[in-house]
Amino acid sequence: MFIETAGPAAGIAPAGPAGLPANRCPKRRALSPYLYILPAVILLLVWTYWPLGQTVNLSFNDWNLIPTKPKQYVDVQKYAKVLSLPELHQALINTGLYILAFLGISVALPLVFALLSRKVQGKARTAYQALIFVPFLITPVASSAIWRWLFAPEGGTIPAIASALGAPMGNVFRDPDSSMIAVIVIVGWQMLGFGVLVVSAGLAGISPDYAAAASIDGASGRQITWRIIIPLLSPSLVFLSLMTILLSAQWTYPIIDLVTQGGPGNSSTNIYYLLYQFGFRNFDAGLSSAAGTLFFLGFGLIALVFVELSERLSFYDN
Amino acid sequence: MAFITIAPPAQPGSLDASTDLQPSLSGPTTAPAAGRGRRRFASLRTVPLKTLPSHVLLIALAVVSIFPIYWMFVTAFRPSSDALSTNPLPGPLSLENFQYVLKTIPIAGMLANTFGMALTLAVSQLLVAILASYGFARWDFVGKKALYLLFVGSWLVPFQVTMIPNYLLVSQMGLLNTITGVVIPQLCSAFAVMMLRQHLEAFPKDLLDASQMDGRSSWRTLWEVVVPNLRPALAALGIMLFISAWNEYLWPSLIMQKSDALIQVGIRGFLGAEGNNWGAIMAASSLACLPIFLIYIFLQRYVVDAFVRSGLK
Repeated sequence: MFIETAGPAAGIAPAGPAGLPANRCPKRRALSPYLYILPAVILLLVWTYWPLGQTVNLSFNDWNLIPTKPKQYVDVQKYAKVLSLPELHQALINTGLYILAFLGISVALPLVFALLSRKVQGKARTAYQALIFVPFLITPVASSAIWRWLFAPEGGTIPAIASALGAPMGNVFRDPDSSMIAVIVIVGWQMLGFGVLVVSAGLAGISPDYAAAASIDGASGRQITWRIIIPLLSPSLVFLSLMTILLSAQWTYPIIDLVTQGGPGNSSTNIYYLLYQFGFRNFDAGLSSAAGTLFFLGFGLIALVFVELSERLSFYDN
Repeated sequence: MAFITIAPPAQPGSLDASTDLQPSLSGPTTAPAAGRGRRRFASLRTVPLKTLPSHVLLIALAVVSIFPIYWMFVTAFRPSSDALSTNPLPGPLSLENFQYVLKTIPIAGMLANTFGMALTLAVSQLLVAILASYGFARWDFVGKKALYLLFVGSWLVPFQVTMIPNYLLVSQMGLLNTITGVVIPQLCSAFAVMMLRQHLEAFPKDLLDASQMDGRSSWRTLWEVVVPNLRPALAALGIMLFISAWNEYLWPSLIMQKSDALIQVGIRGFLGAEGNNWGAIMAASSLACLPIFLIYIFLQRYVVDAFVRSGLK
């Protein structure tokens, strides 16, 4: 079916002066793009899309992950159950709070830092950037270990400083009021530098001519920042925000698993950690899959809305 | 806040433009123009003053970023009797903690295994992505948009949503607790395909045409023309994929539950077993980060560029 149509459409053929090579073997040419793409598509289908279908399928069944035990079709019972679980409500609220926190730490704060520090150029700039990017590269087991040590009630640096300042603190990871903040501190520490570098790179890509022209026209620094720089930066900011919304729960997952296990009392859990607990702690494949299907649909919807919004809000200079 | 308002005159771009136009303007622009002239000859004296608040801010940010890592190394290199010392300076140096870690867990083997895993993943993801992005960038074909959408859409399928079916598949293949089981579901990175496609779309079509006129097949064109020209981009992407694979936690932690062949899982077990033996824990953590630090020290520019570009659009 595609052999006839693909031949004439072959991208580069018309560009050649004689157009000869394109006609030499139209069949192979028509097939070749598919052959190049095939390995990637097969891997994606086998390890992403087929499992996604399986997850939807499992969400209508009751099954405890034991291969010898048959699955039992239970219609939408798992959905009804998962929606009524207080754990799910807690996880959803927490995930929302994590997202808000990281919108601040990996988008808003980096914007402020990048704007305030853009005057620093040259070698000094490279050196600062090299340093603030390092936390992003730390492997999760190490970053959780480092912060457990920094927060350790005995000998930890942060409690020592706190008690020297007259505000003694206990074990932050065991206190339901602070466990989530601790996770945010650890993951925020890793994401902040990354955000600053992304926004700085976006700033560096904005031609200084715009600001120059505006300042000749008498615009103040504040006006230039708000009316010119930030609108031109909007594609980077929108993209960073979308990444933060979609990926916050994945950024926090390893730290939650390594440091708090979602506790105490689900106070620091998030939606993906909940999926793990349903599936691999309670061995309820149906419940985990039902929740997973809902999260997938929810995030898909958010992403679509976001893409639509960014088409309207983003401001390009080309 | 205060120095936002004085930012424009300090910005090199706006300065240059206003001085270029200076002859046709009067009054206010002469002041920055004079400032620029002075700066050119006495830059050491004037620039630091103007950028001082920025430097203070960046130094604070750098200290917050680096102190925890510095502290990890300081604690790791202290003798275990000094583990709780609050002296912010390093010393006395001791390798006791590292010796203890090497004696207690097979950390050298873990590092070697993790290195092999991350290298396999980076190479295979790069290879699969080179082929796919070349297919997408070079030809127009029926279903191109729909097929590409598969790659973009996979961004919306979090691994946690598909982990149970993936786990079952790996278990049916008999690969639980093996490194192969960790590697196999991640052989294709949709992200790498999308990144490389951008590079390939920007690849000069004339070069492709010339190569075709020379009688090269599309396959030979890819390896003899495209890949050699894209070497910097491929290197940056490869390094990034390696670091991401090294730092991946979720999937190894599920698949390797009964094995500690990989650093992520092995160190997790060590953390649990050692409790408050912070010196040893920090020594093990430093070793877990070591390969990435080495890559970063020698290839810093590549690493930053690759990751930052991924966050730009």
